[in-house]
Amino acid sequence: MAKFKTVVMTSVFIVFLLCGCESKAEPNVSDDISMTRDVFAMDTFMNMKAYGSNAEKALSEAEKRVYSLENELSVTSESSDIWSINHSQGEAVTICDDTAKLVNKAIEIGDKTNGALDITLYPVLKEWGFTGEEYKIPEQSVLNELLSYVDYSKIDIEGNTIIVPEKAEIDLGAVAKGYTGDEIMKIFKENGVKSAIVSLGGNVQALGSKPDGSDWKVAVRNPFSPDTDMCVITISDKAVITSGNYERFFTDDNGNRYWHILDPADGRPADNGLVSVTVIGDCGLDCDALSTALFVEGYENTKDFLRNNDGYDLILVTDDNIIFYTEGLIESFSNISDMEAEVIKLD
Amino acid sequence: MTKSVKVLLVSVLLLFIGSVIAVIIIVRKPKGTYVEIVQNNEIIYSFDLSEEKNRTFRIAGQQGGWNEVRIEDGKISITDADCPDHTCVKAGVLRSENIPIVCLPHKLVIRFADKEQK
Repeated sequence: MAKFKTVVMTSVFIVFLLCGCESKAEPNVSDDISMTRDVFAMDTFMNMKAYGSNAEKALSEAEKRVYSLENELSVTSESSDIWSINHSQGEAVTICDDTAKLVNKAIEIGDKTNGALDITLYPVLKEWGFTGEEYKIPEQSVLNELLSYVDYSKIDIEGNTIIVPEKAEIDLGAVAKGYTGDEIMKIFKENGVKSAIVSLGGNVQALGSKPDGSDWKVAVRNPFSPDTDMCVITISDKAVITSGNYERFFTDDNGNRYWHILDPADGRPADNGLVSVTVIGDCGLDCDALSTALFVEGYENTKDFLRNNDGYDLILVTDDNIIFYTEGLIESFSNISDMEAEVIKLD
Repeated sequence: MTKSVKVLLVSVLLLFIGSVIAVIIIVRKPKGTYVEIVQNNEIIYSFDLSEEKNRTFRIAGQQGGWNEVRIEDGKISITDADCPDHTCVKAGVLRSENIPIVCLPHKLVIRFADKEQK
């Protein structure tokens, strides 16, 4: 009978053990609770999610910061620094620290990428109608006339004083959202948030990792089918920022597509072999500026850039449907599209 | 082996198989069907798409305007709106957990509900 009891007890024990697989350990309940906030600003949809007991306060402060940055950096708001610069007729203008920082960064990335990023392209962008809803294809002669005022190297910036030549106009659209991501992360940290993720119109930036310690999964859109994802990468404490030809574009009567990322060389949509560039790095501002610049640079020049600059990982999609990604992503990259994916070889 | 031991072993085995099946059913509970409609950070509708009847309804914007939402065969989309760009209508049915349907002018978002959030 003793044997019988042993069998019963052992069996019951095993069953309990197996059932125990479902129960979850919850070490700290408040760290596991997330709060989310939608923000409609900078002409885009932003979603922020933060974990922990300070999440709500952090989200509210971050939301305020987004609106204040929008007021400083918007090209269309009459109270913004950018408006003052664009209506200064060549006179010196005093700007706030954020604007100065972004202008300096844009100049730095322009210099690093053979002028592929040029914040003085704004008049050309307006001519194409990418700043409003009425798109049009400008005559090349009109573009050439406008391009004669495009040259970011003529911007004179010293501390908080900037002089932009007469007839030149700037726009920080290529860097503003990346910087906004950095500033949100800063506010989250100041509020003791250890785990958060934001999406600013598709640009993703994460603070720390998920509350359970695992990495965040971030999907990158398929440029050929923008309502689906093409790959997933796992990250922590990083920004993942994409520039693609699908974000804002129009098509003419013959089905030709014209997109909003313009090549400063000819003032036309940049068409150098890449349809999507994703930059992954620590600093959202750098990643944002680079995603635009490298989109304009094209595949070969982007390889040159990688040879001379480290600290970034890239996912490129070429116009012949191939995904190229950097070696640093081998562990974290998974292709969920029907495109081929290859590692970029630099030698 | 006595008869009672055999009965016990069989019943333990059945219990075991039963619990395995139960675990599988719990784990495989269909995901990605809980959807919320959020207007300027306020959840105005939330439902399980797999249990919703086919229907079309209008959502009035807080500052005027409207969006027409359709639920059909477990899928949700915005079928019409009076906003200028119609980005929300062009987005089609909600597919991805990462890509919500958004109407910027009306501050309206349709997305799969976060499982982690109550």
